Amino acid sequence: MGTLSLQGLRKEYGQSVAVERVDIDVGEGELVSLLGPSGCGKTTTLRMVAGFIEPTEGRVVIAGQDVTKMPAYARQTGMVFQSYALFPHMTVAGNVGFGLEMRGVGRAERDRHIMEALKLVQLDHLSERLPRQLSGGQQQRVALARALVINPEVFLLDEPLSNLDAKLRAQVRGEIRALQQRLGLTTLLVTHDQEEALTMSDRLIVMEGGRVRQVGTAEELYENPADAFVADFVGRCNIVKGTIEGSAMRSESGSLLPCRMEGAPANASVLALRPERIAMQPGTDGSGLTARIGAVLYLGAQTEYQLDLDGTVLTAIRPTPQDNDALRHIKTGDTVNISWDPAAARLLPA
Amino acid sequence: MRKHETAVFILPAGLLVCALLGVPMLMMARISLNHYDPMVLMVEALTAENYLRAVTDPYYQQVLMVTLGVALSSTVLTLLLAFPAAYWLSRMESRWKSTVTILTLFPLLVGNVVRSAGWIALLGNDGLINATLQEAGFIVGPLRLLYTPGAVIVGIVGVVLPYMVLTLSAVIEGIPRQVEEAAGNLGARPLTVFRRVVLPLATPGVVAGSVLVFILCMNAYATPVLLGGPQFQMMAPAVYDQFSRVSNWPFGAALAFILLIVTLLMTVVGSAALSRKYRAA
Repeated sequence: MGTLSLQGLRKEYGQSVAVERVDIDVGEGELVSLLGPSGCGKTTTLRMVAGFIEPTEGRVVIAGQDVTKMPAYARQTGMVFQSYALFPHMTVAGNVGFGLEMRGVGRAERDRHIMEALKLVQLDHLSERLPRQLSGGQQQRVALARALVINPEVFLLDEPLSNLDAKLRAQVRGEIRALQQRLGLTTLLVTHDQEEALTMSDRLIVMEGGRVRQVGTAEELYENPADAFVADFVGRCNIVKGTIEGSAMRSESGSLLPCRMEGAPANASVLALRPERIAMQPGTDGSGLTARIGAVLYLGAQTEYQLDLDGTVLTAIRPTPQDNDALRHIKTGDTVNISWDPAAARLLPA
Repeated sequence: MRKHETAVFILPAGLLVCALLGVPMLMMARISLNHYDPMVLMVEALTAENYLRAVTDPYYQQVLMVTLGVALSSTVLTLLLAFPAAYWLSRMESRWKSTVTILTLFPLLVGNVVRSAGWIALLGNDGLINATLQEAGFIVGPLRLLYTPGAVIVGIVGVVLPYMVLTLSAVIEGIPRQVEEAAGNLGARPLTVFRRVVLPLATPGVVAGSVLVFILCMNAYATPVLLGGPQFQMMAPAVYDQFSRVSNWPFGAALAFILLIVTLLMTVVGSAALSRKYRAA
């Protein structure tokens, strides 16, 4: 396994810029994910690494070698496509063996490697099936085995879980991560699913509009977002626009919201507050902030509350109240006292 | 709606085919077994003599061979020319795609007769090519371009090309781009991607297009008559000659059935062979 380094990577299509000066380094055995909404340039970046798209500017360096001008077939990358892109006319073994065949590996050795790779994904008993005879999850694992068997320098995953149903997704997510760590695969993962990125990655890169917004570990991005976009995209977040007044923020509808002043950037214009940091007490005792319950959404382990503070709408998420909890009988239209640790409310640039 | 209820939908088309194709074919089959007398023309009989004559007469053996040769080479040439065009068309992502697709159909707007007449003006001894070459001093006498098998093949290819391009591009469009990229990612060069991935997956289109084009070529009428000249004989014109000029309906009908059977046999054998070749790839 090698390292991956993208240096000042840029892609223009006519007048529009798809990727703007992206610098990314992925260390050996590290899993880095590119996270962002559709059209943010993450897939274009991945395709430039694979060699399907030629960058307008910048360099792609794999295992210390500049491959910017190298065609896709000569690069040592193993890619898992969103649609899996299995060869429909070849068996599972034929699919997995294709890359080895292209590398001139002899029949006997090829068969051995194919079976090893299929064992890795627990599909060795299905080697003679055709892709259409497999379930979505099995096809996905064939795609993994096919990309891994060639021992690529860099492992590329393009939304690998988006075609699986929710339950399977959580399971496969864990399996891929375990495999990646066990084999020490240098991996670049593209996803729009923040949960996927948070749980699988060593580091995340949040992209938007072709630019990198922030790079960091899951915890860094969640606890210390660089701007309102990252705060909103990674996890759920209340974003309130307003103006700073003393050690609080005056929202556009007039509520005075306590927040953390130290470390606030000069261009801060919004307040970012995670829904789980908002505490609630039924009734009003005259002190603190008062809100009206706009809606109660029961989510099982948690319950989500829509709070209306004189026109400023906040979302709170609390563990679902149990029998003797004061919040148990709260319903739409009730008035509650809300509060939060001012340190949890960050001032960020928009 | 249940299965047998929708079966009603094929009735109008089915009845039309039965009336206009099935009935005349049955009549032709009956006629082909009749006896021909030069004085009274057709005599009711049950004889295989027309078929025997058609398969044993060296002249008609020759006509069948020429027809097969022209049809096969035209089909292969069409396939070779159409595949790159169809690939390009089906991978096109621009907004001009539908315009280009309609342009592909444009040649079909010009009828065979009109087209072939134009070709005579182009290829004839006094035609544009010969006149230009002689004017420029490259040649002394005119080249023989018209009334050659080559002219017929090129002429037929020009007619059938749109059918092949459209059939192929419909199938190639169904091959996901990502499957080709996956092959590239695994180390396959473009030519290998074509041979190992695109071609096998396009086989249904190759078979369908080739069958369609081969049938059209086997039955070509206007192009061989106009571009092949009086010495050049293919089956469809030969059938027509028997009916209209010689008034030998029984023999004409027998020739027609031989043409039909040979076409059918070639189609079945050819498509089976092509399909098998790529099924286990």
